[in-house]
Parts: sequence; structure tokens; C-alpha cells
Amino acid sequence: MTDYAIDARGLVKRYGAITAVDGLDLAVPAGTIYALLGPNGAGKTTTINILTTLATPTEGEARVAGHDVRREAARVRTRIGVTFQEMVLDQDLTGREVLDIHGRLYRLGGALRRRRIAELAELVQLGDALDRRVRGYSGGMRRRLELARGLMTDPEVLFLDEPTQGLDPQNRVGIWSYLRALNRERGMTLLLTTHYMDEAEELASQVGIVDRGRLVAEGAPEALVSALGADVIRVRGSGERGHFAACARALPFVTRVDSPADSELVMVYVDSGSRRLAEVVGAASGNGFAVEDVTVARPSLGDVFLHHTGRALRD
Amino acid sequence: MYATYVIWTKHMAKFLRSTEELLGLFLQSVLWVLLFGVGMRGLVGEVAGGDYLSFILPGIVALSSLGGAVGGGIVLLDERLRGILKEYLVAPIPRLSILLGNATSTATKALFQAGLMLVVGVLMGARLSPNPPGWLAALLLLAIFSVGFSGLALAVAAVSRSIAGYHGMIFLFNLPLLFASNALYPLAVLPDWMRVIVLLNPTTYLIDAVRALAFGAAPTLPLTLSLAVIVLFAVLCTWLALSLFRRSIRG
Ligand SMILES: Nc1ncnc2c1ncn2[C@@H]1O[C@H](COP(=O)(O)OP(=O)(O)OP(=O)(O)O)[C@@H](O)[C@H]1O
Ligand SMILES: [Mg+2]
Repeated sequence: MTDYAIDARGLVKRYGAITAVDGLDLAVPAGTIYALLGPNGAGKTTTINILTTLATPTEGEARVAGHDVRREAARVRTRIGVTFQEMVLDQDLTGREVLDIHGRLYRLGGALRRRRIAELAELVQLGDALDRRVRGYSGGMRRRLELARGLMTDPEVLFLDEPTQGLDPQNRVGIWSYLRALNRERGMTLLLTTHYMDEAEELASQVGIVDRGRLVAEGAPEALVSALGADVIRVRGSGERGHFAACARALPFVTRVDSPADSELVMVYVDSGSRRLAEVVGAASGNGFAVEDVTVARPSLGDVFLHHTGRALRD
Repeated sequence: MYATYVIWTKHMAKFLRSTEELLGLFLQSVLWVLLFGVGMRGLVGEVAGGDYLSFILPGIVALSSLGGAVGGGIVLLDERLRGILKEYLVAPIPRLSILLGNATSTATKALFQAGLMLVVGVLMGARLSPNPPGWLAALLLLAIFSVGFSGLALAVAAVSRSIAGYHGMIFLFNLPLLFASNALYPLAVLPDWMRVIVLLNPTTYLIDAVRALAFGAAPTLPLTLSLAVIVLFAVLCTWLALSLFRRSIRG
């Protein structure tokens, strides 16, 4: 049996008439990085709230670091670190005080706290700023400080809700490298949510796509991408799009066809783009569909995301 | 309950660091005593055989304790609205210790403000009775009362949706607590219907007891009754804060 750092079965969370999480199963092996993707309001934060004991599930159960989030909440709390979606920092304290108070809440000894603060300040490159008030920190520094705070207690499982939201590319790449190092060197399990496909591809060995509170796809990023087809031929044109899509779908080597209602594109997923291009374009001619532009590309995780969640806005 | 202590020290550090808040509290005390105490003294002169400043100082002190408590409640509200509370909620500490951390820091501020007011009042001419044990007893009652006000402020802070809403609700308490009490006028001069309302106000009992203990006035209410009311008030308000706080963190 695999050792799961997070093992959730049938999680449901209702807020009155709203069902934020609707029967979610999640199994994250210890020592891996798992990314939850999903449109706004999909239930990612709610899932993290349940797993970090901030919210109790309406139904279902979850174990984190081997302990039940409901019955053994205190045990779970000692083993996890969390950074929240929004920045949660006391403006009037210095970075060092933020870390120190956090350590004291977890009853770490003074010597240990000083050592960790020094180590973490180096890891997240906050050295000089550590004794300044948080009020004067930039967004990137605040995020890095929050990350350091989450790491003060050397958690087994680290939860990160949109860790690089609103950060510049330097900060994002920096944070990615800290996270990878933590995972590799300390075997820390990471569960993160993100809206950035590149972030998920960079970091995660497993990706879960959540929509309307349910897991709609799960797997390694490459596996999810190749399940769509080896290549995608994007055909832009005007005329009978639906008819063209149906004809393309009938071709034996086509794995799937998406023709989103709100765009002029038809996406044809095939086993090999360069070999099948002529036949796909051929299927368009004589079917009342005038091709204007064709591109061949490998599908991206973004294509996977849109394929599983559709294009309609969620509000 | 080590976490309570950690949270208390954090709030105190923030408090002592905010020079604006400290200066504001100090000036508030001076202004109250100046405008109300000294000004009204010119108008009223003597009440119940003592000077007016000594007469109304206990009321001003009680109300400034509410002022301090309001400032403490803001901290909980701010931490709640900004999500800082979540840092405590995911930590392996009892939920109760979070509220107690807030309650102790709030009560400390309330007591601090009350003490400040007392000192300013005495410096400006209010006459204490020559009875140090009485002063101590009065301070103790003030401390218990501050716990009650803190509970009230925290209860409001636990349910408010915004800083403005919080102030609005507090104001609703503030006004009747001051004017529907014996803070500004002796019980004896009030019409009967008003006396009933005033006797329902716990501040009345605190003010009466402090006048008797620290300023040498004759108590108009039995001291033991006052003590009982003050303790009951503190317990009720703390209970209210606790239950509203519990409700607010239920995820
Ligand atoms: N405390 C709450 N009370 C009522 N509804 C809530 C509450 N928390 C979340 N919801 C609702 O549950 C749904 C899921 O919200 P959640 O914050 O988990 O989404 P999310 O995937 O994190 O979205 P985002 O990407 O925007 O952060 C939303 O419809 C939200 O409005
Ligand atoms: Mg979210």
C-alpha cells in the first residue's frame, strides 16, 4: 500500500444552498507535489480549508499526514504548514517577529527558532529586510515571508493556495526553485492550487483538475496532455464549422475534436500533426468550410484544462 | 494556555508600537477631564458634598475603559477581516486560547486607559480619599469591569462585517452606558422612571463603588451588590464573546 500524505474520500462541503465541494476524492502520495487546477469558484480553497482543518466537511473524510482532519485535528495541525490564497500578514510587525511569533505558537524553543529564522531568511532571500516592518515589503517579499512562515515548523505537508498569484517572473521562478528544493531534499509533500498552467507543469508530478467541486481529470501533466492526442491541429475558418467537426471526428486517426462555441477555431487532436495535416485540411474542403489558417502544435496543459472545464465563465 | 500569552505579547507589541493610538488615548483622557470635569465644575460646583470633578471622574474612568476595550476589539476585528485569525486557527492551539489572548490584551488596554484617566484626573484636581486599600479595591473592580467591556467589544468584533459597522454598534452601547447611568448626576436627583433604567445599567454600580472606595463618597448602593453586579456583568459579557466567537470561526 502506498503511503498517502493526503487521502480524502467523498468530500462534500455545502454552504447553505451552495455546494462548494461535491464529492471529491484526493490521494497524494507522500513526498510528491500535487497541483489542483480549476476555474474560479471550483472549490480549491474550500478543499484546502477542509484539509487544513479550517472547515469541517459536510460529508466524507480526509486524512492528512496519517490523521483524520475531523477527529484528530490537533495532530494534523502540528504536521502541516499553510500559505493562504490572500496575503495574511501583520503589517506592524517585522519579518523576524512574524516568524518568531509563529514559532512560539507551535512551542518551538528559542534556539531552534533563531536557527530556523536564519535558515529560512537565507532560503527565501529576505536577509536584510527581516528587521523591517512588513508594511514596507513588496508583494514578492510578503509572499516569500509567508512561505518562510509556513516552513518555520518544518511541516510534513505544505499547503499553498495560489502561491505565486500576482508576482513577477523573478519571484515566481524563485519560489518554484525553493519549493522544488524542499520537496527533493526534505521529501516534503506539497499540495498547491494555481491558475498558471506553467506552474503546474514546472512543479507537479500529479495534477488534478477540479470543476464545480468535482475532480474531472487527474494524472501526470504529460499523461493528461498526451491523452488528448499527440498533436493538435488548430483550424481557423468560416462556414459550416459543425459539419467540418463531424467529418474530422469520423477520421480514424483523430482522437478528439473540440469546436468551442465562442471561437472560430476547430481543434483536431491527432496522433501525428505533420502526417495528418493534409487529410484534416482535405476534410474541410468540399464541406462548406473555408480554411483561413492552420497551425500544428503539441497540446498544452491549458488545452487539457479547457477541454475538461469548457470555456463558459464561472461566477 | 501558552498560546494566550503569545497572542497577548503580540498585541501588546503592536499596541506599544502604534504611537498614534497611544497619543490618541492620552489626549482623549486629557480632553475628557478638561472639557467635562473642569468645565462642568465651573457650572456645577458641588455635588453630594464633594467637588464635581471628583464626582464625575469615576464615570469618565469607566467610560474610558470602554474606549480602551473598543480599541482592543478592533484588533480582533482587523485580524478576523484580514484573515490573520486563520494563522491561529491552523496552529495546534486551543480555540479558547485565541479568544483569551484577545480578551487579555483588550482588557489590558481598557485598564491602561482607565488608569491613565485616573492619573490625569487626579493631577487636575480630583481628590482621592486617603485610603490606599480602597484605591486598590477600586482598581480591582475596574479591572473586572474592563474584562466585561472587553467581552462586549469582542462579541461585537466577532460578528461585525466592517470597521464602520463595528463602530456603529459600539456607539449604540456607548451612549446609554454613559448617559443612562449615575456618571454625570447623582441617583437621588433622577426621576423614578429614569432611576429604573439607570439601575439596570451595570456601569452605575461600578461608578458608585469606585466613588465610595477611592473618592470617599458615601455609597448609595450596597457595596456587595455592586461587586456582584460587576462580576456578573464580566461573566455574561465573556460568555457572550465566547459564543459569538465560536460561531464566527465555525468553518
Ligand atoms: N464561507 C462560505 N460561505 C458561502 N459560500 C462559500 C464560502 N466559501 C466558499 N464559498 C463558495 O464555494 C464555492 C467555491 O469557492 P472556493 O473559494 O473554494 O473556490 P476556488 O476554487 O478557491 O476559487 P478561486 O480560484 O477563485 O480561488 C464558491 O462558489 C464560493 O462562493
Ligand atoms: Mg481559491
